[in-house]
Amino acid sequence: MMSGFDAAAGNFLVSALRSSTPLLWVLLGEILTQRVAIVNLGVEGQMLVGALSGFAATLATGNPWLGLAAGVAAGMLLSTVHAGLTVGLKANPFASGLAVWMLGFGLSAFYGVPMVGQKITGFAPLPLGFLSGVPVLGPLSSQLTPTVVLAMLASPLAGWWLYRTKTGLAWRAVGESLVSARTLGLKTSLVQVLGILAGGAFSGFGGAALSVDYTRNWVEGMTAGRGLVAVGLVIVARWNPYLAVPAALLFGGAEALTLRMQTSGVPISSHLLHTLPYLASLAVLVISSRSANKEGGMPAGLSAVFSQSR
Amino acid sequence: MALRAALNRLKRSTFLAALALGAAAAGAADVKVGYIYVGPKSDYGYNYAMDQGRMWVEKNVPGVKTMSFENVPENAEVERVMERMIKSGCTIIFPTSYGYLDPALNVAKKYPKVIFEHAGGFKTAPNLGTFFAGIDDAMYLAGMTAGGMTKTHKLGFLAAHPIPQVLRNINAFTRGAQAVDPLATTTVIWTGTWSDPGKEAEAANSLVDAGADVLTGHVDSPITYTQAAEKRGVMVVGYHADASKFAPKGWLVGAAWNWGPMMGRIIKSVGDGTWKPEHIRGDLKAGDAELTAFGPSVPQKVKDMVLAKEKEFKAGATQLWSGPIVKQDGAEAAPKGGMLAMASLESMDFLVKGVVGTVK
Amino acid sequence: MKRSLPAPLPTPFDRWRASAGFSVAVAALGFFILGSIFFLMVGQPPLATFAAMIKGAFGDGYSLSETLVKVSPILLCATAASLPARLGLISVGGEGQFYLGAMVGTGVVLAFPGAPAWALMPGMFLAAGLGGASWALIPGMLKARLNVNETITTLLLNYVASLLVDFLVYGPWKDPHNLGWPATVSFPAAAKLPGFFGTRAHLGIVIGVAASLLLHLLTARTRWGMSLRLLRSNRKVAEGIGLSFGKQALLVVCMGGMLAGIAGICETSAIQGRLQSGISNGMGFTGFLAAWMAGQDFLRILPLSLLLGGLLASADSLQMIAGLPSSASLVLQGLLFACVLAAGRLRKGKA
Repeated sequence: MMSGFDAAAGNFLVSALRSSTPLLWVLLGEILTQRVAIVNLGVEGQMLVGALSGFAATLATGNPWLGLAAGVAAGMLLSTVHAGLTVGLKANPFASGLAVWMLGFGLSAFYGVPMVGQKITGFAPLPLGFLSGVPVLGPLSSQLTPTVVLAMLASPLAGWWLYRTKTGLAWRAVGESLVSARTLGLKTSLVQVLGILAGGAFSGFGGAALSVDYTRNWVEGMTAGRGLVAVGLVIVARWNPYLAVPAALLFGGAEALTLRMQTSGVPISSHLLHTLPYLASLAVLVISSRSANKEGGMPAGLSAVFSQSR
Repeated sequence: MALRAALNRLKRSTFLAALALGAAAAGAADVKVGYIYVGPKSDYGYNYAMDQGRMWVEKNVPGVKTMSFENVPENAEVERVMERMIKSGCTIIFPTSYGYLDPALNVAKKYPKVIFEHAGGFKTAPNLGTFFAGIDDAMYLAGMTAGGMTKTHKLGFLAAHPIPQVLRNINAFTRGAQAVDPLATTTVIWTGTWSDPGKEAEAANSLVDAGADVLTGHVDSPITYTQAAEKRGVMVVGYHADASKFAPKGWLVGAAWNWGPMMGRIIKSVGDGTWKPEHIRGDLKAGDAELTAFGPSVPQKVKDMVLAKEKEFKAGATQLWSGPIVKQDGAEAAPKGGMLAMASLESMDFLVKGVVGTVK
Repeated sequence: MKRSLPAPLPTPFDRWRASAGFSVAVAALGFFILGSIFFLMVGQPPLATFAAMIKGAFGDGYSLSETLVKVSPILLCATAASLPARLGLISVGGEGQFYLGAMVGTGVVLAFPGAPAWALMPGMFLAAGLGGASWALIPGMLKARLNVNETITTLLLNYVASLLVDFLVYGPWKDPHNLGWPATVSFPAAAKLPGFFGTRAHLGIVIGVAASLLLHLLTARTRWGMSLRLLRSNRKVAEGIGLSFGKQALLVVCMGGMLAGIAGICETSAIQGRLQSGISNGMGFTGFLAAWMAGQDFLRILPLSLLLGGLLASADSLQMIAGLPSSASLVLQGLLFACVLAAGRLRKGKA
């Protein structure tokens, strides 16, 4: 299978894409949420309930698309807790997010017990056979699944929506300044709630992508911190959906690289290798902070959230 | 009429009272056994196998009541859990994860009347013994199967942490494969965690990308890498439990646990006073570890070869860890005609030649 | 929003509504109701289960001591999060600083195994404090010099710290005589922090309480505390009169890191007896949560840490008595936090 650089590069690319996809979905969601000046650390919990619901629905109906839909619904449902606390009661968003994380983890683990060891059929690989001869892209033809392709489409779509539509503009306005947005007649609370729900939908989808598509398995806590990392990557992506793919690939690519290094027998401790994705993200963060102004593109309303404590 | 009804009522209540008394008496005599797991008991892997053992005991050993704790980390947390169990009446404790050994020794000192049976450790105390099963034999046989089936001579092994039990499995598997296919190599990827399906799926794919056509692993649950292997069209050998339903085409064979009977024997020995703080090591021979059924793609020739070896193990005619055993760097761990002692098995810290990967 | 006395309120209910007692009552009631619903859904009698939990946390000497064992790192990590918050900095780095403190403190013990207790113990603590502080220094400097968001940097560095400890205990620091188990040698007696009255509760709780009280005094009553408030509420004015945000940011972050680092070495020395993987048990995050539920008030984090510690310690009762899986405890924790947050907001009204 390892027949030259092309195959290796192609395999690496696919590996990086696959690793990044669940992360990418959560990242897109959190970008949208933070665009309306809300931080949601609970995306990890939303991912988990999405993963469980997706798995359970796929098991029950045999249809992975229904599983993805169930994941979306579950993520949105859990995010309403965050919406209620932060927008409704104006509670501290960081604490609320952590509470949502705990609820999501606990509920999914608890109700997920009967799901362990169950078998589901995921998606069939996409019929991209025509690509098999193409250099570098060859492995893509047999290993891409719908959630990866949808993620590649969702990212520019979200970017177009945010920057080119009226509602996208409204959301950005709310994120810049709640007060100014209100004077413009925008229903800021509604927009913020929608932003949180959108985050819930995307993170639920990302969780379902992980359980239904990527691993076809359910294990409690299976997201293993990806949601939290996504919150961190929002800053690397400069709150720009168009940059979500490179930001997610940065992390996913670093992960794929550490695995490659292990299979090549590189004599570095696997633990040190595992720090690579985080250090890479940190490095990009620092570099981008030096070049940008205004905290690297952070919505002004969000800076208020970060510098205010309650 | 009324008298008859009253009489019946009296009879019934007396009967119930007698039942209750009997139950209370039985309850009073019931031995309470506590189990502690490092992960969820529904993990379809190591903890699941231990819990199956617990359920077997509940069903088949009279006069025993069990309780279990899951998701207890391998650090001092478990000391508190053990103390809680003891305070609620447990007189036998099974700390089933390797990392519970030192905390168990601490607690054993405080409660000399309680018996501790630790899984996989190699230290004892007057009231602490260890039990385990040499699943190495089963892994060796599984390795032989893999060696007999691989076309690329490359095997892949997904592992969580480089602790002795895992290293033993990797080495046993590799030696088995090499016995059949001298060119076979095993590439190891350390995921760094007992359970992270995302990482496991990616690691499995990386191993396939690197040329492996048989995968196996030692993480909490075999499901993820088994499915990943099936998806990529490569073969898979399982560990902990029979996960063949997840890979109907690619499943070769698996190494699985069968803890119940051994646990039952231990509990009985406590009950009749014959318990000793020793290292109990079951094996393939005694039935505490077993080879699962072969998958549909394994030809009869390979099956016969492996089953013949299994007979040899069961008869004690062959020892898995007999020399020569050569480490990755070429140094000899055991010379020809020699054998690795149990002590070095229990603290194994090397990988054999033919394994690609670091030990740390 | 002024913090001076509010205008006289019309009714006793309104007065109560603005008091702390109100939010405690509402939170408790909400938690009781939601928790009961959960228990009923999973087939457990609510009252009995709650009673078992309380007993498991505070019911007897043993339970209380185990609660205190949990409270100790929570409290220290809560102060580690509260102090930077005084400057408006949001640091979730308690976990990483915990590990670094444990690591560097262990390093000293490994380097001087034969040293006497009067030298080793303080040396260990000092090293741990420096270790935690230095790990906080990195995000601190990045924030002070380059204005890099500290929440994200501390978050990422948590993972790195944990992996560094793993590397050490699986590699160079692994005890060669312990059957390959990835941990350091057991600490010599001179480095083992003793427990009180034969329990596992240790000095860490005293340090935590002392730190909270001290920091309360420092931030509420001194000029330094005032300068922090000024820098946070109006940075331009504060800098105009000569206060330096950058310097203070480094100071508070490092002080917080020091405290978290001490939590790390306490846990390593008193509870684990050696360094190994995963010893934080998520205390950094729990401490962060305690801090934010308390509104970063150094006095309020005391009862809240106690409550959290009790809740964590009572998880055993849920598994043992109710036969619920460990995730049930996590659900309850989430419910509790949501209730405390909501109640806190209901108290102040929609201000």
